[in-house]
Amino acid sequence: MSQEPIDAASHLVVRQASKRYGATTVLDRVDLAIRRGELVTLLGPSGCGKTTLLRLIAGLALPDAGTVAIAGRDVTRVPPHRRNVGVVFQNYALFPHLSVAGNVAFGLTVRRRPKADIARAVDKALALVHLDHLAARPISALSGGQQQRVALARALAVEPDVLLFDEALSALDRKLREEMQGEMRRILRDINATAIFVTHDQDEALTMSDRVAVMNGGRIEQLAEPRLIYQRPASLFTLNFVGLSTRISGTVVACDGGIVQVDTKVGRLAATGRFLAGSQVVVATRPEHLRPAAGATGNAVSGRVRAVVFQGSRSLVEVGAGGETLLAELPGQEAALLAPDAEIRLAWPVSETFAFPAPEMAA
Amino acid sequence: MTDTALPLVKAPAAPGRERWLAVALAAPALLILLALFALPLAKLLAASVAGPDGPTLAEYAKLLGTPYYLGVIWNSVRLALLTTGIALVIGYPAAFALARARGAVRSALLACLFLPLAASVIVKAFAWTILLRSDGLVNETLLALGLIDAPIRMIFTETALIVGSVNIFLPFMILPIYTVVAQLDPRLMEAAATLGAAPAEAFVRVVVPLTVPGVVAGVALVFSLAVSAYVVPTLLIGERYPTLSTTIAKAYLLARQPTFGAAAGVVLLVIAVATVALSTRLARLGGAR
Amino acid sequence: MTRPLAILFAWTMALGAALFLLAPLMVIAAASFSPTPVFDLPVGGASLRWYARIGQMDGFWPALSLSLQIAALSTALALALGTLAAIAIAQGRLPGAEAIGTFLVSPLMMPGLVLGIALLQYFRAMGFSAAWSALLLAHLVVTLPYVARTMIAGLSRFDFTLVEAARTLGCTYPGAILKVMVPALAPSFLTAGLFAFLASFDNYPVSIFLTDVRTKTLPIKMLQYIEEAPDPTLAALSTLILGATVILLVASDRLVGLHRMAGTGQ
Repeated sequence: MSQEPIDAASHLVVRQASKRYGATTVLDRVDLAIRRGELVTLLGPSGCGKTTLLRLIAGLALPDAGTVAIAGRDVTRVPPHRRNVGVVFQNYALFPHLSVAGNVAFGLTVRRRPKADIARAVDKALALVHLDHLAARPISALSGGQQQRVALARALAVEPDVLLFDEALSALDRKLREEMQGEMRRILRDINATAIFVTHDQDEALTMSDRVAVMNGGRIEQLAEPRLIYQRPASLFTLNFVGLSTRISGTVVACDGGIVQVDTKVGRLAATGRFLAGSQVVVATRPEHLRPAAGATGNAVSGRVRAVVFQGSRSLVEVGAGGETLLAELPGQEAALLAPDAEIRLAWPVSETFAFPAPEMAA
Repeated sequence: MTDTALPLVKAPAAPGRERWLAVALAAPALLILLALFALPLAKLLAASVAGPDGPTLAEYAKLLGTPYYLGVIWNSVRLALLTTGIALVIGYPAAFALARARGAVRSALLACLFLPLAASVIVKAFAWTILLRSDGLVNETLLALGLIDAPIRMIFTETALIVGSVNIFLPFMILPIYTVVAQLDPRLMEAAATLGAAPAEAFVRVVVPLTVPGVVAGVALVFSLAVSAYVVPTLLIGERYPTLSTTIAKAYLLARQPTFGAAAGVVLLVIAVATVALSTRLARLGGAR
Repeated sequence: MTRPLAILFAWTMALGAALFLLAPLMVIAAASFSPTPVFDLPVGGASLRWYARIGQMDGFWPALSLSLQIAALSTALALALGTLAAIAIAQGRLPGAEAIGTFLVSPLMMPGLVLGIALLQYFRAMGFSAAWSALLLAHLVVTLPYVARTMIAGLSRFDFTLVEAARTLGCTYPGAILKVMVPALAPSFLTAGLFAFLASFDNYPVSIFLTDVRTKTLPIKMLQYIEEAPDPTLAALSTLILGATVILLVASDRLVGLHRMAGTGQ
């Protein structure tokens, strides 16, 4: 695990946080440290504890054990209204009895700021999300995307120490979601915000954040840059949850200098990793590394084309070999030549092949 | 406990505390209804079987064994059945029109529903006594139109009773049905049409079953209100049509027969509650289908 | 062919129902201006003299004042207690919340007359004979279920995330309740209050068993007037009550909208 040491410069620090509901452990001694201005995503399936972790940071839930510190202040027991956080809720939680401007002004009004300051801050926040022309509208008159922007403006207006997003984009349709991802990233960069996104959408996690924390079973499995999460998954769970992959089980027969030789149903494969001979492992690689082989070096497997899934500029080719399934991502023209059931030989470099403990052993 | 000493072993927020808070919030209302509703009902039940020599079912025997009192019970049920039936026939199509209406028309129709609903029952019943008098508006109109030669006697007849009763309880039929119809997805009719159903068939097979919960609620509400109506029969028909309600009131206010009155009250209660319970059951069955 | 006919039929029924429902109200208003003592329609000339006589009816002012007191007090108490109970039920932390909700609403399906005689016997057995207090307590049983039903329905649609949102924006917990939950529930609150008040103000079958010679509510007095000597004075009084109801309804409509009340108030 590539967990970084918690340094003093961190803006938000969660230390050994645990939370149980009845007999269920929702968070299990989680550590998380985020620098000022950093955008971090908590990514994981439902029930992995990501929303609970967000609620602990917001103060909407209290940890059974552990601490939360924001901007150098221990806020573990501080109620939410004195934490200076901004939260964008899943369904936005906009106040239906207030106008757009009323919603954005809310946090400043309860902070008893002077009227002129509030008006200026509201204008600024609404301009930032390009909604200045709708300030007087009632909430019910807005589209989903506009409501999303109001929720963001409302959270931004109080100039919070940390911005928290709970599945904030999941209610939008795909195209709008992608637009908002880009726009939100730009806005957050502009104001140098420190933000945490909770999402189960890996595309959102990979495009929006500086670092991604993959969560599973109440723990952070891996915290790293999006590129590393994808290219160097630290666990079988991360490999499965983020992106597509070919996975073949086998038995380690030799290990030398960080390279293991694994016997599988499709022949002997080499992978990076350190295991004792005799270990049960899963050998895996990403689909873009698989190429139709012409006497190439590295791993190679022969099989038959099972299906070709057209995806625009590229196609996903499913190949069956010895009871295993290989996934290859090929350029469109190349894939167009492949007939179903055709013989094909696929090869990929050893440096892009990983070995993980087989699930039975990991358990 | 200090904030810094032992940050890792803080007690979790007790889930029991929130539960006690909820109990405390609900307690005043609950206690009031226990003391002023549940307990008096239990006492009434006990009073209905009170006799000089211990518990007796004599009053129930009198109620359910005498043709006169069986007639009284039937009068109440008959009034409720007729009111419910007529209100359903008028209310069901009216609810659809109301749900289709938009803008000012809908506001006007809703106002026509809410104003009578909010208006005093005594005022409305009194108005019907004026309308149905032999020199009242209805007779005058019929005479002027040449439909009748001499005024018809309407007030203090069963017709007057039913007209007044339907008038007063109709909104309770329309509103639950309207609520259900307004929530119907218009695409359901389109879906039925694409599956080959003619409009009439689509209506019968798709819309009618979906409005059953509203109909059941309306029927139960109107029936239980009409079966126990007191002001309406008192003003519109009087002594000629004794109902359970008027009999109960007489037993307490004039005849001083509290045990008999209590027994009649229990019978009325059973009829009203059984209607609601049965309808809830029916609505569940309908919903489970 | 059948479809336009069906639509025509539905509209006929709706307009017919609207006329039928309004008829008694219009007639009573017209009759209150009758120039003669026999409920003539004011065709020849209208007269306001019956309105002048309302105040001279025997026992009118005490009855009106009593009815207003009982309705206002029982509604206020019911709103407070019913709303608290509804919050406990809607948040789902109350054991047996659904059963308790059913119990709180159950007096609604109870014939008023039965409640009246039950309370009469109960109070008598306890030796409790203060008519004013007995009426107030009885009307609390009438109004509380209205409030409970409307507020439980209103709260079940309330998004409790709004309270959390307000807290993260700087509100204390009580502050969040006050600033977010109260305005969002105001329509339900108003609807509940309106219908509870009207139910109490118009109640006859419960009150009749709990009055004494000096303590009579307005509906009891009115029924007595109607049975003794109906004249257009009663129509004038009825019209005034109707007018007040119209004002209440219009005010609620301005504040809430009748359409929303249809969903919660019936």
